[in-house]
Formats: sequence, C-alpha cells, structure tokens
Amino acid sequence: MSYSLNEIEALAKRAARGAGLSWGLSEESAKACRWLASHDLPGVALLADVLTRNDKVPYSHVAPVSLDGIWQAPSGTLCPLASGAALNDCADRLLPGQGIEMSNLTSPLLMVPFAAWAALHIGAPVTVSWLDSQIVTDGYKIWIDDPKSEIEVSAAVALTCCRATHMDDRATAPAQRGSVDQPAWARLGVFAHRTYAPATPQSRRFGAGAGATDND
Amino acid sequence: MQARPDAAKAIALRDPARVMRLARLGSFHQCRLSFMRILTRRMTRENWTFTRPVFDIDANGVGHAVYCAHTPDRTYSLVAFAHDLPAESRSDRVIAEAWDSTFTLFDGIPTAEDIARLRDNIPLQEAGRVTETELSVSRANRSVRLWKHVVSRLAAGRQPDVGELTKVGYLMRTTAVYGSGKLGAADREMIASRPECAAPFQIEMLSVFLTRAYVRDLAQHMANKRGGDKAVTLDPDIARCMGIGNSTGLGMAPFLVNHPNLINNWIAARETAIARVRNVASASASEVGVFRDLLARSTRSADLWQSEHPIQIEKLAVLRADLQKLTKHVETADFQSNRPWDRLFSWAEATLGLDGQECLASLMLEPYANLVDPLADQMSDADAVSFRINGAMTLAQLRRVLERNYRWALDTDWTAHDRCARVWYVSEEKLEPRLGERFEEPIADYEQPLAPGRDAAALYDALKSWDGDDPVAAFLLPHSEHRHMVRRAQIVERAPYAEIRDNTIGSDLLPIDMLRCKLAFFGATHFDPRSDRWVRICLFGNAPYPEELQSRDADDWPYPPLELARS
Repeated sequence: MSYSLNEIEALAKRAARGAGLSWGLSEESAKACRWLASHDLPGVALLADVLTRNDKVPYSHVAPVSLDGIWQAPSGTLCPLASGAALNDCADRLLPGQGIEMSNLTSPLLMVPFAAWAALHIGAPVTVSWLDSQIVTDGYKIWIDDPKSEIEVSAAVALTCCRATHMDDRATAPAQRGSVDQPAWARLGVFAHRTYAPATPQSRRFGAGAGATDND
Repeated sequence: MQARPDAAKAIALRDPARVMRLARLGSFHQCRLSFMRILTRRMTRENWTFTRPVFDIDANGVGHAVYCAHTPDRTYSLVAFAHDLPAESRSDRVIAEAWDSTFTLFDGIPTAEDIARLRDNIPLQEAGRVTETELSVSRANRSVRLWKHVVSRLAAGRQPDVGELTKVGYLMRTTAVYGSGKLGAADREMIASRPECAAPFQIEMLSVFLTRAYVRDLAQHMANKRGGDKAVTLDPDIARCMGIGNSTGLGMAPFLVNHPNLINNWIAARETAIARVRNVASASASEVGVFRDLLARSTRSADLWQSEHPIQIEKLAVLRADLQKLTKHVETADFQSNRPWDRLFSWAEATLGLDGQECLASLMLEPYANLVDPLADQMSDADAVSFRINGAMTLAQLRRVLERNYRWALDTDWTAHDRCARVWYVSEEKLEPRLGERFEEPIADYEQPLAPGRDAAALYDALKSWDGDDPVAAFLLPHSEHRHMVRRAQIVERAPYAEIRDNTIGSDLLPIDMLRCKLAFFGATHFDPRSDRWVRICLFGNAPYPEELQSRDADDWPYPPLELARS
C-alpha cells in the first residue's frame, strides 16, 4: 500500500512532537522523513528508531555542544534531527574546501535531507559521507554510492558534510508517493498518540462548539 | 488647476497591522478572486463539458452515480454513493460515522473495478483508504426539512415554495471535503502543475460543484419514484437558488495559522487588487453601472442572509444599515475624476463598520476583471523551501523583525489569564481539533502551536540575554523550543500578510472569525454561526449548473438576482 507524502509528513510531525521534540524541530524532522520516503529510503523506520532511542532523553544530551570544531554530543551520541537542523542553520559555512564534521551520530541517513535543504540554499550540491558510503544531493535529486551497504547503519563514528563539485548524472529524482514499513508506521502512531488529548464529556460537548443542533 | 500634493503618489496596499486583525478577517466577503469563481470562470472559458455516465440509485435512495467534468485535457469524475441513513445517525460533527451521501473526486473515468474498490472505502470516510487516483473525499447530509418539502412537492406535481428554499438555501450540506493526500489520496503536489489546479482548492471546489448537480438530480429522482406520472420537474430557476450547504468547525481555523505563506498569498492578492482599483484615475459609466447593479444585489443578499446567532444578528443589522448608507452615498458620488474608488473607500473607512468596508472592497473589484483576475495565478504557495530557517541572520535583526511584525504581541501581558485562557488541542476521538480552557481543563500538555503572538513575545524575551551580533544558529542550538517561532517570524518578514496579528488564545477569541476568512476566500456566502466555533455557509448558491455554464453569465452569480424567480 502506498502512502501520500503529506500523510507521512503529518504522522511524522505528530510522532516527533509526541516523543518530546520541540514543535519547530518536529516540523523539520517530519519534512526529513518525507524527503527520504520520496526517494524510497526508509525515513519512517529511521525516524521511529531515533525517537525510540532518544525517548525521554533531554534534547541537550543529544544536540551538538558547540557549532565550532567537530560537532559532538556532551556524552554519547548525536541525534541526527538536532544535528541536521543545526547543519541547515549553518549552511552558509559549507564553503568550497570547508565542511562540517560530526562524531558519533545515530541514523546518519536522516542527516541527508537537512544537507539537501542546505544544498538548495547555497545553490550547490552537498556530499554527506560516512564509512565508505557517500550521498550527494542538490536538494532535489540524490546519488548514492554505497559499495558496502552502509547507508542504513545505526550509527556513524564520523560523518562529513561538504560542498560537492558536481551532481552525478545517475542521480535520481524523488517520487510522489512513499512506501512505509508497517511496524515502523505503527511505532510512529504510538508516539503520535501522546499528542492527542483524551476525550472528556466536557471536551466532547464544548470543545468543538456544539450547542445549536446540526440535524435539521 | 493645482494638483493635490499627493496626487501622483500611488495608493499603497493596506497595512498588514490593519488588515490582519481577527475582527476584520471575520468580516471578509467573497470577491472576484474567490476560489469558486476562479473555477467557474475557467470552466466557462475553456468550454468544459459534463456527462453523467452512471445514475444507479434505487427507490430507497441507495446506489451510486458518476458525474464527469471534461476539461480540454482530461476528465475528473465525482463518484457519489447514496445511502439510507437513519435519522438518529445524522450528525455534522467530525466524530460522525455515517452520512446521507459520500463522495470522491476521481482523477479520470473510473472503471467497474475502481467503483467496487471505492464502494468498500468511500462510505467509511476516515475509516476507509483511497489511492493516488482519488483527489478528494467528502460527505454530505440532507437538510431533512427542506429535502422532505422539495421531494414531496415535486412528487405531488407542484414546485417547492421559494420562501422555504431561501430560508435554508440548500438540500444537502457537506461536513468535510478532504483533499491533498488525506486518507491516501493524491497530494496536491501531484496535480499542482495542471493549469486547472493552479489556484488553491480548485479540486475541492469542483467536487462541491458536481455534488450540487448530484443532489438536485437525486431529489428529482426520489420525487419521480414516489410520484410516478404525477411528479413534475424542478423549475431550473428554483433549482439555481439552491447551493450546497457546508458545516465548518474548528478544523479549519488552525489551517490559517499552519499555512502562513499560503494565507499571505491569498490576502496579498486581494489587497493588491484593492490597491489597483483605488488607483484607477476615473471610472467609466459602464464600470459604475456594474458596481451599482451588484451593490443592489449585495443589499438583497444581505436581506436574504439569516442567522439566529446573537453576534451575527448584530453584524447583519450593521451591515444592512451600512449598505443603505453606501447606496445613498453612491447616488451622488462623483466617479468621473480623481481616483473615485479611493475616495469612496476612504469615505467608507471613516463611515462604515468592518463588514461594510470589506463588502465594499470586494464590490469595487467587480468592474475590473483585467486588473483583478490575473492575480488568481499568485494565490498558491509554490515556495517549497520557505520553512528553512536563515541561521545567519543576526539576533539584532531578528529582534527588529519581531518589533516590526509583532508589536501588538510584545505589548500584551501574556501572564494575564484572560490573554492566554484558551488551548488549541487535538482530541483522540477521530483526531477532532478542539479548543479548551487552559485554567479549567487538563489540556495544556496537548497544546498545538497556534498562538504565534504569545510565542513571539516569549522569543523576544529569550533574546534579551543574547548579544545582537550572534547569529540565529547559535541561539537556536540550545533553544530548540523557539525554532517554530523563529521560522514564522522570518516568513512574516518576507510575507507581511502571513500572520494573524491578533490573539488566537484569548478569552474573547471567536474562532468563527478565522473560519469566515477562509470560507470567504472559497467564495462562501451567508455565514451562519451556530456557536462561537462552528458555522454554516452556502456554496455555489445561484451559480449555474454544469449544463448552464455556457448559456448564463457564469461570473457574477454570487450576487442573487433582484427578483426571485417565484414568490
């Protein structure tokens, strides 16, 4: 069963919020999930993994301590959503010959959509690389060089984002629908459910403004 | 003759701080740029044709029908399922689970297999599932009283009573029209490049336009089944005064806040149109004639407009009085020279209430198709990357952005309970959006981000301890909680009409103001609030039916004729 990209983004946003992310970061995380899904990459599963891993972990524990030097968490691992948002904020730093390096980042593939938006902003393709895998995107298309099947690793010891010289001719465009991993979709649903207020007689009666009859 | 000092200076767009107040947005009226009118103009201009390949409905009113709209390039089909709904199940609330009729707009012409698949899903609405060949999903309930009247009259060989018809205005009302990816349907992005989908909500409007034809046909069909040879055909003039009703609740209010770029483009298009007309040097006799005719018909529309809600009763009284004042003023007004529309509008701003001012603003656009209609192309949101935060902006710049665009919010005491009395939240019951009381219900933990004024003030406060030379990126690293508001502020700086410049969580909030703003852009008329948070409206009332588009003036239909066909 295919899903609309809007559906994927809508559930992802609620799930991210339900897992405790700020509204702003939830919005971007949802768009990242959608972006990956449009390229037939497992955005939903990766988001569910990250939300599960960092559930109830304070944001400050998984966000970069500083934007100077190699980005790292205070201890443990960096969250790709917090780090991705910061990367996009700092897109102007992706000058020729200068990159942004991060250490101990979980689900590194989730970093790619943020790099894609940075690419759109600077008007040049960006390469994200870890281990032996490299992904190049101009914001729209994507080219994956992954000889050892490492793009879906759960963590990267070292990850680099830098301006690329060109897009590979074999780069592929996004699709307009997404397929999702059903167990991961259900996990997002559980997180999303935390944002829904339990109905009470009062909310049922007044919350949506009943009063006048609607059956005449 | 000495020119006035400001004669050469163009009239600018109205200040967003003046336009984007809830009381004014809640007084908006349909205009040439309303989405229904954009659609009917296109259908007429492009000679769309319409067919009804299937109408398979039994004597109990159960079955399905297919209505096709053929554009020059493709076909869209409304697939309608008719149900026999027990009276006790009829509810317009989102939490309802059964309806009189259910619909989908299909991209193309559905096959028998498509119909079978849709029959298993469309009647279930939110509990069903659709695919990328479906562009919208919707449902409608009868106005029981008017339905009975019309069907029994026609069955008995008589036309319905026009007075009864105009009291209600519709035979069925839709209670939700879902588009853009909902329930698995095609995303708007999949069809946005089609010319007929370029303006906002064209698919949803087409669905309602075809639904109106189906509802008329279904009532006739039921009357024919019941009356047999005695039944008569509904008079086309009487049929035309019936639109499609719509019940709109709180779900639509957050839309305005959640789509800042889109709202900016709607308002900016209308404001640009108003400014263009205010800058017209002089009006011709025919232009003034169009205006006077439609002013008279607006007055009639206001007379027909009914509501039992105290707020709306008061607004209607003021609007009707203002339209009288306007009519009298226009009798002697000079339209020949010196920017007549600007002088008229300035008079209105000093003399009329908000409803009257906005009604005039919409009416002034009517004689100027060439100045106004091309703006329809600018009303969608094509800016896919506007959500990106500019992290290089300095915090001093961000402060100035907040001071320029959120002055009202920075001057508000957000610790006062009445300023933050409400909470927007989503109920776990069918995910219905609701509004609750922050200090009376345990709902604050579920709050949706729909209070930009409060959030802007909090952001401004947080910035006080930071150096103005620091970049936004450095501030947001430890302050993720402000990302949402920083994004909004940066959008508003580029798109000045993007933000409602008013309190969306105060104890005096009337959500119906937000609903009316959006519904006026749809082209709705006769807003009838049923509480402070849901409203009934009429869509396509007095519009041509599909087969009439080429034979009638297809553009000024929102203004009812001065004389009813029957009385």
